Amino acid sequence: MSDFLNSCKHYASVGSFQGRMALQRQLEYPLFLVSWLIMIPLKYLIGVWMLKILVDQFQPLAGWTFPQLAFLYGLGMLSHGLMVVVSIQSWFLDHMVIQGGFDRMLLRPLNVFFQFTFMYLNLIGCVDLIPAVIIFVTGCSLTGFDWTFGNSVGVLSVVLGATLIRSSFYTLTACVAFWTKRATHMRAIGHDLMERSTLYPLSIYPKAFQWILTFVIPLGFISFYPSTALLNINHGTALPLEIAMWTPIIGIAMFGLSQIVFNRGLRAYESAGS
Amino acid sequence: MIEATNLIKEFRVTKKESGLRGALKGLIRPERETVRAVDGVSFRINKGEIVGYLGPNGAGKSTTVKMLTGILHPTSGEILINGVSPHRERTRVVQNLGVVFGQRTQLNWDLRLGESFELQRRIYRISDDRFAAQMDTMRSLLGLTEFENTPVRQLSLGQRMRGDLAAAMLHSPSILFLDEPTIGLDLTAKQAIRDFIREVNTLHQTTIILTTHDLEDVEQLCKRLIVINHGRVVEDGPLEDLIDRLAPYRQIEIDFVQEVPVIEIQGVDVVEVNGNRMVLQFDRRAFSAASVISAVTQRAAVRDLSVREPEIADVLKRYYQDSA
Repeated sequence: MSDFLNSCKHYASVGSFQGRMALQRQLEYPLFLVSWLIMIPLKYLIGVWMLKILVDQFQPLAGWTFPQLAFLYGLGMLSHGLMVVVSIQSWFLDHMVIQGGFDRMLLRPLNVFFQFTFMYLNLIGCVDLIPAVIIFVTGCSLTGFDWTFGNSVGVLSVVLGATLIRSSFYTLTACVAFWTKRATHMRAIGHDLMERSTLYPLSIYPKAFQWILTFVIPLGFISFYPSTALLNINHGTALPLEIAMWTPIIGIAMFGLSQIVFNRGLRAYESAGS
Repeated sequence: MIEATNLIKEFRVTKKESGLRGALKGLIRPERETVRAVDGVSFRINKGEIVGYLGPNGAGKSTTVKMLTGILHPTSGEILINGVSPHRERTRVVQNLGVVFGQRTQLNWDLRLGESFELQRRIYRISDDRFAAQMDTMRSLLGLTEFENTPVRQLSLGQRMRGDLAAAMLHSPSILFLDEPTIGLDLTAKQAIRDFIREVNTLHQTTIILTTHDLEDVEQLCKRLIVINHGRVVEDGPLEDLIDRLAPYRQIEIDFVQEVPVIEIQGVDVVEVNGNRMVLQFDRRAFSAASVISAVTQRAAVRDLSVREPEIADVLKRYYQDSA
């Protein structure tokens, strides 16, 4: 037991120091941060504004009104922002495979998956969280979302679980690079799929696609199913409401799976260059 | 101690053909082939040795080093580092290794050098007292004080390499792998690195495996050489033995007062004639330099002469040419 505690302490000490170093590093280039500070909130605020125009001009999307859509969009964006803060490296795993970026990690007496997962803290992610909070708070207020204790815990667990689903999903798609040495296209497809399935209700898509995003690639649990449960929306959902809040469980399962695939991939790692 | 037994490493590569047609063919029916980068390498390195691991580009040096350090898994064969396999117990083995890649720094580019040392302290769980003592040693051996607070990106190549060496030695590993540690450095910086390597070897009996193309490094540091070519060990032994066996000749350069005379001595070859200058080469096991000089001076008046010993470059030339 004391060995385990010592080991936890060791990993915590390295992880927190790596995080601190990453932040210090970014603060060396403040102008870079400022440019993102303008671009990212604009991109997502325009996105939700477009949704409002669509719903106002035409009709509710698969029965979803604008307040409900804003709630879903904001909920999805919260885990997106958090993922960009803690797990942006999962977007670049393929580069690391191709350029021999795991050599140094393999030379350290630490688990490689841990080093990869906790190697970086990205300040720019905080910029993504700004529109996320604005849109989510607007959605909550427009829908009259009731901040009971249960609902608050629910939102928190969904956001954390969804962050795990997102980063595990990116890790899994990029792990292809261990075998193919190239995964940029996978990353691009994954990114599109992620945006389209988490910012809009799944019920606007054909049944087969919904089924895939529920049982095969469970991205539906990032914002769609939890929103149906939290707002008590019944139209067009494929799942019973009790399972809709399983986001943390699915997040942990996907995280476990991504670790297994990562470790398998690492055995095929060829450490390019000399 | 390092033991490598019959190491083999194969890579599967896709054959690339030229042109659009080749690219399409590669897409539809890729032709895969197996390339053997390391082909049955065996050696044993004892504690405290400094071994030069040499060979031309693409000979398999880096692949071997990556297998020894646990980065790559061998296709077959066995590696034991202090009796433990780096592939079965990677974290245990690397706890005792220091590795410096001359072309890839492990230092944090944007931060002051000291931050990278602090990270090493946490990774290797070095106690505060031990860390302070090690830092003092490193400061005195490598002169770190003057640039410890400078961001790594602003360091000269020589300073950066000194920083890399310090980072690799902070946890006092028993084995140090150095992959081209003097590449691109000026003469003074090279000498500082070599002095450091000698020092840690003498002080702590650190085993050092050095891959380099700089023969000065080899001559100054390595008592033993392992030469690899086409993935196989082609030479392994003390530096002097290799020179004796592979370059057993000596050369005399003679500057004559007048025209170069005709020299015909059994076993002595004329390798170069240029104006009044002539270079003779002979087997140093069969002749002494004195006997050749005396034979020459009997034939013509000599203004000046010098004796040239064979160099490590002459020994290695054949392998490097072979690969060119």
